[in-house]
Amino acid sequence: MPAKQALSFALEPRASLQFDDYVADLAWSSDGAQLAVAGGEGKVALVAAGAEPPSIAVIGGHLLGTLAVAWQPRAARFATAGQDGAVVLWDAEAALELKRWKPSVSATQALAYSPGGEFLATAAGKVVTLWTSGGEKVHSFAPAASTAVALAFDKPGSDLGVALNGELAVHRIEKSRYETRRYKWPAACLTVNFSGNGRFIASGMADGTLHFWNRSTGKDSQMRGFEGKVQLVGWSDNSRYLATCAGNDVVVWDFSGRGPEGTRPIVLSGHTERVDGFAWQPGGEHLVSGGRDWRLALWRPGKTREAIDVQMTDAEISAVRWSPDGKRVAVGEKQGRLGIFDLVAR
Amino acid sequence: MSVTPSRVPVTVLTGFLGSGKTTLLNRILSEKHGKRIAVIENEFGEVGVDSELVIGAEEELFETNNGCICCTVRGDLIRILGQLMKRRDRFDYILIETTGMADPGPVAQTFFLDDELKGTFQLDAIVTMVDAKHFEQHVDELNEPAEQVAFADLVLLNKTDLVDEAALARIENRIRGINGTAKILRTRNADAPIDKVLNVGAFDLNRALAVDEAFLEPEYPFEWGGVFELVAGDYLLKTAGEHDHHAHEHGHGHHDHDHEHAHDHGHEGHAHEDLELVLLPVAAAGGASLNDAIEPAVRAFALPATVVACHGGLEEIPGHYAVDISHPGADFHLKVTKPGAYALFCEHHPAEFGLKLQGAAIAAERRFASHHHQDDISSIGISDPRPLDPAKLNHWLDYLLKTRGQDIFRMKGVLNVKGEDRRQVFHGVHMMFDAQAERPWGSAPRVSNLVFIGRDLDRAEFEAGFESAVAKS
Repeated sequence: MPAKQALSFALEPRASLQFDDYVADLAWSSDGAQLAVAGGEGKVALVAAGAEPPSIAVIGGHLLGTLAVAWQPRAARFATAGQDGAVVLWDAEAALELKRWKPSVSATQALAYSPGGEFLATAAGKVVTLWTSGGEKVHSFAPAASTAVALAFDKPGSDLGVALNGELAVHRIEKSRYETRRYKWPAACLTVNFSGNGRFIASGMADGTLHFWNRSTGKDSQMRGFEGKVQLVGWSDNSRYLATCAGNDVVVWDFSGRGPEGTRPIVLSGHTERVDGFAWQPGGEHLVSGGRDWRLALWRPGKTREAIDVQMTDAEISAVRWSPDGKRVAVGEKQGRLGIFDLVAR
Repeated sequence: MSVTPSRVPVTVLTGFLGSGKTTLLNRILSEKHGKRIAVIENEFGEVGVDSELVIGAEEELFETNNGCICCTVRGDLIRILGQLMKRRDRFDYILIETTGMADPGPVAQTFFLDDELKGTFQLDAIVTMVDAKHFEQHVDELNEPAEQVAFADLVLLNKTDLVDEAALARIENRIRGINGTAKILRTRNADAPIDKVLNVGAFDLNRALAVDEAFLEPEYPFEWGGVFELVAGDYLLKTAGEHDHHAHEHGHGHHDHDHEHAHDHGHEGHAHEDLELVLLPVAAAGGASLNDAIEPAVRAFALPATVVACHGGLEEIPGHYAVDISHPGADFHLKVTKPGAYALFCEHHPAEFGLKLQGAAIAAERRFASHHHQDDISSIGISDPRPLDPAKLNHWLDYLLKTRGQDIFRMKGVLNVKGEDRRQVFHGVHMMFDAQAERPWGSAPRVSNLVFIGRDLDRAEFEAGFESAVAKS
């Protein structure tokens, strides 16, 4: 056990694996023993992250690129989506393809499992579809006016958020009535992020703003001053912080007390090039960020604006993901390496 | 630390359905050029593109700012190109084929507005395919064909085998009227040389801005001038076609050579049509004499014209005539009493009517800037040697883009800025604008050349704007 009372933590390299494809996306299994990897050129790989030493095996792929990967909660199964339009279900134990189908002629852009694992949502072009975890169609939502670029379930699994051009659509999936609530802003929404406490829904926008709506009052708050498109948005596990990024700095908004409006955000500076991935620690308040400057940085925004550890990798970083227990970080690089780091007390 | 490879060129291919875009794409892809080319298609036509690197797109417009067309980009392209950037085996070239009805503006703007794409991709050129057989009909009925031509750096006039030379000349003239700077290449089966279509560098500020010189000249009342060496004798000036006034009378059984009668029927597309001509004696049958004759010709065009009916004669030289070319094969007699060199200036390019002076060879000829704007989209060229004041220039361009940005599709130019040793070059799509200092003027004459292509452009307004930016010495 890392000592929870320790003053500081650091990241310790545990393994570096050759994947031989651009790491586009990563997903951990619920038990943290396995990791699924989506390759930008199309490969799909499975990592035995808990093994000594960890190993990686390519088990299949998508034509023209794998766009997304999601692990079914508490199951030995994950799903991938590709530029070829296909959605594939994989058996992680046997390392085999279980089912492959095309929800639409368009590329399948995003995937999300409901927190209980019973549903898989896919976004292909303008069409969002809800499937059972076995890939049987449950419901296809009416095509939106624009392409759905991101999907997320809220924590209870009763709502499915969809990022569209000009709005976030939130579909109530409880009791199969599929009512839709819309949060509008005239710009392209790039992300959809429910706070874990259910109070807010946030979106990073192409017009360089962050919007968050109070879900009970519908009040829309806008945060500006970003360098460009707000492409990365993530809530801390306890819903206190919302991290955002549109360039080299990670900007963290504090939602404690009366919220972030009118306050100065916590700006985490240190990366010398654009940050392409960050993630909050499950069950904790650490944040990791990876950039085009080859740096993997560990932060604790509630305590200090300085990075508490920085590791150099072998290339530009494209994806970072914490293991579900919050003790390990998987780091994908654009040149096809995959690093695994342990969080250790120092 | 990270390596920045050179940017990947992108060609945007526009044109109406059936104009030959897919044929061109397949030709490019099948040629042995050793390039890895990715194709992004908006619609999968009946004829498939022969490559596995074909990616479908949904032509999705994203307004980045309050619904302004100038700030509208293509979200689908941002996503797809973003995905292509994830390949370690990089593509050498990207071809984007738009739908027949697509507006090329947002496609081009995407490469100006999106920071991510700007660093990785370089817009090379907008290539517009024109179907010679149907262009005139389409451009009269719809807005898109003229807009696609307006945006083009290169127009491929395709299916030239399906129409005659007169129609081709007419279409080229119309294209030049819309877009005074695009290169026009004639093709039969989209068979353009690949090196003329790819790596054109139309948006590359480092390459000299190639602007058609004729376009930057003042506008003349004529589109063509030629000189002939003529001996004394009778000549026939004749348009193409067989002279048959009844060709369009739908099988009337009688042969009536009464012109008035023929005109009374008012056949569509057969209305009474005059072509204005000026004939002048010149010093010699060469280019220099032709140029010397321009000023006298302009003056002659300002005088009333003598109307000449079919089979009539051009009695006097010098003279200004309006010849009736309503009928195919119309002819006019020209009697030359004094042998020597003569210049002929025509209101429209003679090739549009297949007009020829029989028995005489053209010793030298020139095309002049079109003064006829059939379409509401047109080009304005300004060429002026006076140095510009940088602050006033900015003020003018700023005002111009704010007030006319939506109407200006393309603009480009080389500027002679006071106190600046280097050429200032710029180009833009709507309000998007790139400018930089290029190579020094050196001993070359310092002259500003600007071109604007857009809808309802008023030359006087642009000239006044330019005037306001001229430095006071």
